[in-house]
Amino acid sequence: MSASAAQAVAPRRGALVGRVKISWTGLTTATILIVLAVVDFILQPALLNLLQIGILMQTALPLVLVGAAQTLVVLVRGIDLSVGGIMVLANAATAVWVGERGGAHQLMIFLILGLAAAAGLLNGILVAVARFEPFVATLGTWTIFNGIALNILPTDGGTPPPSLISFTFGTTAGIPNSLIVLVVLLLAWRALRGSRLGTRIYAVGADEERARLNGTSIVGVKLFVYAAAGLLAGLAGVFLAGVTSSGTPTAGDPYILTSVAAVVIGGTSLAGGSGGIGLTMMAALALIFISDIISAINLETWVSVAASSGLLLIVVVARTLIDREIQRRRT
Amino acid sequence: MSAVTAFLRERRITIAAYALCAVLFAIATIHSSGFASASNVRQLLVFASFVGFAALGQTLVVLAGGLDLSVPWLMAFGGIQLSSWAASGTSGVLGIVLVVLVGAAIGLLNGFGVAWLRVPPIVMTLAVGGLVEAYLMTIGQLKSSGNQVPQVAVDIATKRAGPIPVVALVWLGFAIAASILLSRTALGRRIYATGASEVVATLSGVNVRLVRLLTYVLSGAAAAFAGIVLSGYVGSTYLDIGAPYLFTSIAAVIIGGASILGGRGTYWGTVAGALTLTVLSAMLPLFNLSSADLEIVYGIVILLGVALSRFGAGALQLTRRSGAQDHNPDMEVGDAA
Repeated sequence: MSASAAQAVAPRRGALVGRVKISWTGLTTATILIVLAVVDFILQPALLNLLQIGILMQTALPLVLVGAAQTLVVLVRGIDLSVGGIMVLANAATAVWVGERGGAHQLMIFLILGLAAAAGLLNGILVAVARFEPFVATLGTWTIFNGIALNILPTDGGTPPPSLISFTFGTTAGIPNSLIVLVVLLLAWRALRGSRLGTRIYAVGADEERARLNGTSIVGVKLFVYAAAGLLAGLAGVFLAGVTSSGTPTAGDPYILTSVAAVVIGGTSLAGGSGGIGLTMMAALALIFISDIISAINLETWVSVAASSGLLLIVVVARTLIDREIQRRRT
Repeated sequence: MSAVTAFLRERRITIAAYALCAVLFAIATIHSSGFASASNVRQLLVFASFVGFAALGQTLVVLAGGLDLSVPWLMAFGGIQLSSWAASGTSGVLGIVLVVLVGAAIGLLNGFGVAWLRVPPIVMTLAVGGLVEAYLMTIGQLKSSGNQVPQVAVDIATKRAGPIPVVALVWLGFAIAASILLSRTALGRRIYATGASEVVATLSGVNVRLVRLLTYVLSGAAAAFAGIVLSGYVGSTYLDIGAPYLFTSIAAVIIGGASILGGRGTYWGTVAGALTLTVLSAMLPLFNLSSADLEIVYGIVILLGVALSRFGAGALQLTRRSGAQDHNPDMEVGDAA
């Protein structure tokens, strides 16, 4: 474990030297995304239109947001299985608690997002303070949050506030809101990454012991990361309620492992310390394009499942083999 | 320290898991005496055995430091492939043997990716599970009807030998075999060594890759078998039949006291975990708790179970190296966590 961590540190140091860096990983992920996007646009030229892209982004946003949540946790060498639970918790709460209430919509949604962040913070406390294995802690909280969501809303239904629904489908100054949310997420990530906190997140993921010796509060960083992941997963749930105009308390589970797939395809290392939300966003969009292409050419669902899993396998195996080759040439 | 106390001390986590299960069973029986009736206990054993089969391979994989997320898809594969071959004339027994062998081969693929290509277990088994799912979808589309499960599978799942369900006896057999494998054979020692520290195991001459590979092969076979028996019990097959077992197969291992990082745990512990999960799901309706509440209780039991077993393991370590205080105990926790 420590040997592989030491190996992982070397290329990252080089990457931090240049201010504008184009990593090999980012390049491959971008290539995959661009190829799939071009294929989709060739098959469906009508998609090349801001509103159509906005509709595609509405489909993509929940996965992008959950993927972003997963990325943050993976960066500090963790994993969060509870993102699906927090997502449905926020989703059910949005569909039931906010309902058709008058002017207090926004406030209520902020409260729900706060609850999602608190749920994430609970994960953080279990992992960073009580020192549970992340996989075990979030396996436990995943099913707890799922159960709470089902208590709030036992079956699909409920009424998300109309203002939320019109926001998810709407545009601002001609630009689809879904696209704006995506860009805001990316900008927020850029800002975080450039901040001291961002540097610390990478430092903790790369080598916890060294980060501790450098005076970084490991507990503080992890609490922030898990709470932020909870917030993003909650946002995904709120947004999903807007997109489907309904509450779906069992919709979360498929997002858990797909978010891990998006993180890995994007190129964020499960060993922590390298990668980022930008990469995961590209990978999540690539997965959305795959299913869009498959449905455009009227292939069966299984092709889409096989293509996503195949892409995951090929990308991971290729990267592992190439990394090993690079390592061997260096030594 | 006498041999008996040493025996108990070594196994205190496993014993605690059985104690938890016994306490839950007692509570349910006090609340409603029918819970301890022969028919209900039989039912519990049958349901627990499905979890037990699925968690058998998972235990071996986790002990060697891995994780198998393809279990639910291999379970679906077990049932669907068996009935698909039965529909085209393969005999039930031959079908079961073939399906288990193909399950082992799919496990081989997992193991090859993890051990040789060094793909993280979560990713490898997720991708292989996805490919199996896609394959099963093509079978499902080829034939709309005819998901008839062969009679042999139905018999294994539903027949009784005297008062005891056959499937529970099979489970007992597997549990004895697994515990012999783990505690009495070289492979068993190597599985623990690999999970405890890959570096140390390699230095002491263990073929770590081969050990890892074998655990995934066994997991593939066990999951396929679990799927066969489950579909025999249900009487039909469908794609999502294994879905609940992703969670329960891992939860049983954790409640049984195994470390998710590998190197520590027993299959007898997992058996207790499977029984605990099954008793919990059967007793909650008695207390007017819904399936949603069951999910909450499952989560709490997992977190408490881990907290307690770690507390127990920590106490064990402290008694072992009492006097030798050259380690910072805080660092020790960090290494374990």
